[in-house]
Amino acid sequence: MTSLETQRSRDVAEGPSGGIAGAGRLRMSRRRALGLTGSAAVVAGAASWAGKVLLPEQVAEAAGAPANLYLAGTDGWIHLPAAPAIPPFHPDPLGLEEGVGKTTYIFGFRNVTGMTTAQRLAQKYHAQHSAPMFWVDEYDGNQAHEFRVQLTNLGLQLRPDLFDAHTLHWHGFRNVIPFFDGEPSGSISVRAGGEFTYVYRPRDPGTYMFHCHVEDVEHVHMGMTGLVFVRPAQNRTGAGSGVPVSRLGGNTAAGAPMGYLYNDGNGSTRYDREFAMFLSEVWAEVHWADAHIQLPEWSDYRADFALLNGRVYPDTLEANGPGVNPFDVEAGRTFAADGNLIAPAGREDLKHQPISSLVNCIEGERIALRFANLGFRESAMTITGMRMRVVGRDATPMRGRTSATSEHDGADTSYETDTLNIGPGESYDVIVTAPPKTGSGDYDTYFLYNRSFSRSNNLADGGFGGQATQIRVHGSGSGAVKPGPQAFPNDWGFSA
Amino acid sequence: MNTTTRLARRGVRRGLALAVGSLLAVGAAASSAVTPATAAAPPRNGIVCTKGDTGAAPGQPVFNLTTRTGYIDLPDGNTSFMYGYSSGFDAFQHPGPVLCVKENDTVTVILHNTLDVPASIVFPGQEDVLADGVPSQPQFAGTGFMTSLAQPAAAGTGTVTYTFKATHAGTFLYESGTDPETQVRMGLFGALIVRPTDSDSQAYDDAKTAFDPSEEFMVLLSEIDPYQHAAVEQHKAFNLNNYKARYWLINGRGYPDSIADNYASWLPSQPYGSLATVKPYQPDNTKPGYHPLPGMARYLSVGSEDYPFHPHGNNGLVVGRDGRQSTALSSGGEDLSMEKFAINIGPGQTWDVIFKWYDAEDYSTANPVTVTVPDLANQVVGTFYSGSPYLGNTHDLPPGIQTLNQCGEFYIISHNHALFQITSWGVTMTGPITYMRIEPPEPNTCP
Repeated sequence: MTSLETQRSRDVAEGPSGGIAGAGRLRMSRRRALGLTGSAAVVAGAASWAGKVLLPEQVAEAAGAPANLYLAGTDGWIHLPAAPAIPPFHPDPLGLEEGVGKTTYIFGFRNVTGMTTAQRLAQKYHAQHSAPMFWVDEYDGNQAHEFRVQLTNLGLQLRPDLFDAHTLHWHGFRNVIPFFDGEPSGSISVRAGGEFTYVYRPRDPGTYMFHCHVEDVEHVHMGMTGLVFVRPAQNRTGAGSGVPVSRLGGNTAAGAPMGYLYNDGNGSTRYDREFAMFLSEVWAEVHWADAHIQLPEWSDYRADFALLNGRVYPDTLEANGPGVNPFDVEAGRTFAADGNLIAPAGREDLKHQPISSLVNCIEGERIALRFANLGFRESAMTITGMRMRVVGRDATPMRGRTSATSEHDGADTSYETDTLNIGPGESYDVIVTAPPKTGSGDYDTYFLYNRSFSRSNNLADGGFGGQATQIRVHGSGSGAVKPGPQAFPNDWGFSA
Repeated sequence: MNTTTRLARRGVRRGLALAVGSLLAVGAAASSAVTPATAAAPPRNGIVCTKGDTGAAPGQPVFNLTTRTGYIDLPDGNTSFMYGYSSGFDAFQHPGPVLCVKENDTVTVILHNTLDVPASIVFPGQEDVLADGVPSQPQFAGTGFMTSLAQPAAAGTGTVTYTFKATHAGTFLYESGTDPETQVRMGLFGALIVRPTDSDSQAYDDAKTAFDPSEEFMVLLSEIDPYQHAAVEQHKAFNLNNYKARYWLINGRGYPDSIADNYASWLPSQPYGSLATVKPYQPDNTKPGYHPLPGMARYLSVGSEDYPFHPHGNNGLVVGRDGRQSTALSSGGEDLSMEKFAINIGPGQTWDVIFKWYDAEDYSTANPVTVTVPDLANQVVGTFYSGSPYLGNTHDLPPGIQTLNQCGEFYIISHNHALFQITSWGVTMTGPITYMRIEPPEPNTCP
């Protein structure tokens, strides 16, 4: 065995593991081992064919480190309100044959971290939308703490004629080499059955998004999109008196903030709860066309449905699926024994749209909302009765600069607004402070919705739909019904 | 128009034509053979400045612009009938020439109209513009119906002379003020760059806006409804309520034409490329590849809606918009420039964006990526990939795969992120897409 083959075997034998203890490591299947041996033979042949000596240059020393997250790209179906229909595109009759309430064909990602090979391969045709949300701590310079995302391509069950590759493009990541950027022209991409690991050393806190960049127009619109964010070092270090280490950084003291959005130095971006609000759109005709082997005319684009975390209102209020935290994985608890998602209670039709947008909080708390838009239209996200303080945009804190080389150390440019106009590919970090609860129920309700009303309905007059959700402010008194601390972003804080 | 410059351009076109079939030969070496030694050939990449007539007094540049009709090529193989402002009395070009002047210059633009309709020029962002010596103002028919935003030149042979003092550094549009919803869309627009008094290699009169003059680029975004253009060509009516863009362009071209050189021979009337060739940012002069200044991208939009432009791999520092620096109006004048990865440029806006790229991890064969590169049989390889993750390296590619990569350079994409707009009437992955080409530090083997 050459050193090159040894290296490869070690990588595969160790495989990816979850970012948490107990996630377990995957074993190399016999089929995969045979595939690798075959591939190595092909490489040797290629080298002699090219008349060059194959140097092991590209095989790195630390290449065997396990992945922190393992994503798979494939196709599948999601649920959108079937009425009113958009004949013949929506609801897609093929979807209704595929599962309860399934209306819309998608391409998407799945989190396959911690799965057996059999479970992982069985996720073909079980894509979700929006993609698994994930988050990373700001890189501390220790290479052992780099963040590794392994990507596999399970293929497209309904479109075997499309042998599309997939990639992972972390949108907004600064100063990355093309190799890890995921734009296929300048790099390599992952064919069906292939594997690739992207390595990130994120140095800039804030909210980003990610998507497959292969056949960008199609794969993005078909649903291979999600939200990712970077947590600042200040969570772990604090910033002097009055800016303590956060709960995310290990501080268990009462009154410690859950976290900070940025390394603000003064605590101005502290928050008690955090929610990702990922915006995407569905043009029913395109989704139907991909399912029925047709080609759309993209310049006719329209957003029939506008989605918040992969659902439309009022489905946005439904519970998180049990696997929303991508780092907490366990067969039977966070995913089914066959590897498929477990539907939110009572909503089998939302099985592949696991992320809730309902904000539960307590009066006086500071709530971080992380917005990112990978639809093709600008959204105007509005909250009634609360002001949003914009503290970051495009993973950059709202600060001026004091010199040509400095970055965001100058004037405070944060501002308050009712409405965020979020363009495609743009992100906003905002803080809202929950006002006192004044109503007589368990909570007061505020509304977060797209002020571009054609995208806060579901094609029908009357009532809201689309990109809308509720913010429920609970009382703080000792007897009040109120949420506990969040276990992960978008967590309701209720054990139910 | 400067005659020697025009000759030089033609020389470049001939040079490129001769070089067809030899990828490595395209460029300065080929073109310089037929370029007069006294005239600087236009750069292959980056902004091509038109500096006005020779013989004009210092600080008083004079530009002749002639309206013409012509055709442009689109990525789906279609052509589109256009109007355009030509430099001097040249043949049709699209978009109009990039007018470069100095802050506080007194600028004269003489419009010669050869169209069969009246046409004019307005200069958004400029103040006290005169038309034939009187204030340039909206023109009204007797009933109050507005016919033009500025005094037009009559159809056929009309001429108007516009003058103004360019009092603000920055990036500006110029465009037709006559029937603009038709004429601007038909192509009567271009860029005006006002360089600050301090330095030609700053965006504004502030050293914090310095950039490397070899890395200055234009990103001029526009759109086309082919039915409107066909109607104008055929002298037929067009119901503007039916307007629907089917093409979106960058510097008057769609991808992949967008990354061809300036004055590419096969795009005779679309002279401006948008490939951004840069070197890695390296502020340390003790290290190889010392390159301490960022690049500069001047964004302009004549579209009908916001375009969310997204440069990969680096966050632009927005140092100005609409020809005004991003500084507070308070006495402290705090620097309010902001980093963004989405340049959401609205109709008629300009954004001045400074950018730099460097490999944050300094990966190389000596400091390799910490993953196993899939073996060749398992790679799906991109058109521009070198075979190696590392800048300046090339490596084996799968059998039968060819690459356009020349010397281990990197290609990092920039594109409109309203992704249905990177199509051309159904052809995907065209439209307003360009690349940043990152050259390996010298010495390198790049042509």
